[in-house]
Amino acid sequence: MHEVSIAANLIEIVSEQCRKGGYLRIESINLKLGRASGIMPDALLFAFDAMKTDSPARDAVLMVEEVPVSGRCGGCGGTFTVQEEYVLHCPLCGGGSFQIVGGRELDIVDMEVSE
Amino acid sequence: MKVKVATKILEANDRIAAENRKIFDGAGVFVVNLMSGPGAGKTSLLERTLAAKGGLRVGVVEGDIAGSDDAERIEKYGAPVVQINTGGACHLDANMISDVLGDLPLDELDVLFIENVGNLVCPAEFKVGEDMKVMLLSVAEGHDKPLKYPLMFQESAALILNKIDLLPYTDVDVGKIRKDAQSLNPGLRIFEVSCRTGAGIDEWVAWLGREAEKS
Repeated sequence: MHEVSIAANLIEIVSEQCRKGGYLRIESINLKLGRASGIMPDALLFAFDAMKTDSPARDAVLMVEEVPVSGRCGGCGGTFTVQEEYVLHCPLCGGGSFQIVGGRELDIVDMEVSE
Repeated sequence: MKVKVATKILEANDRIAAENRKIFDGAGVFVVNLMSGPGAGKTSLLERTLAAKGGLRVGVVEGDIAGSDDAERIEKYGAPVVQINTGGACHLDANMISDVLGDLPLDELDVLFIENVGNLVCPAEFKVGEDMKVMLLSVAEGHDKPLKYPLMFQESAALILNKIDLLPYTDVDVGKIRKDAQSLNPGLRIFEVSCRTGAGIDEWVAWLGREAEKS
């Protein structure tokens, strides 16, 4: 629901980096988006396209790599990846002493620019 | 040409939140980011807390999309209060809090509540400089909420289950709320309260006082 704020932050960060590097414009941007980040890729793409017009990213394509939720279990020592947005029990041993290690990402990885 | 960015999208917000936190710590204020869906009873909880707080000096930041109804309710208790209108935004962010820091007598406070915009999703994502997040859920919202909106339950130090006086009139399974919420967040403290009758408020206020003293 706050994809507009996220898109605004994203455009600010890449525009700043584009200006600093003296590049002409941004062609594409690679993002990592955790499935438990609370951000819907489609809504983010929509917000990005609506907000990018007056920035160096005006023609940029947003490429989103979704990262599933993953964790490590302190009970059985195993690591796991799930399709759900949350984990209630270790899917390997059913125990409750696990740590979530992935799935909350909201990261800009890199971007393709032209000079 | 490929350029490495390697930046968290919320980095700017996190940086401002850390600056806010430093100011709060310097003033010795314990800051609670209070979150819930609309109508769960955040302002009612604050009213009850202000009435039961004893010697604790409490201030409030009210975050709403529009209006100052909540700030007017808090003012009646003599607590310092600042109203923020987000003008449409679905959550408070660190910058909005940074803008009002000068309007609060931080040195004269033990606890500052930041009442977020009513929304069970977005506020959980944005740090504002708080020591801890506390969320409310009213029993009338149903027992499916922890699994439908896991992020807020995972981020909170305490869950206040409000409106327990309505339990005889609903089919809600409080045991399921407790079980799912604590599976999502094993360290979560749960308080069952009614802001209407005052049930459970003393226990919550005593815990809040202990947490504020610890920090």
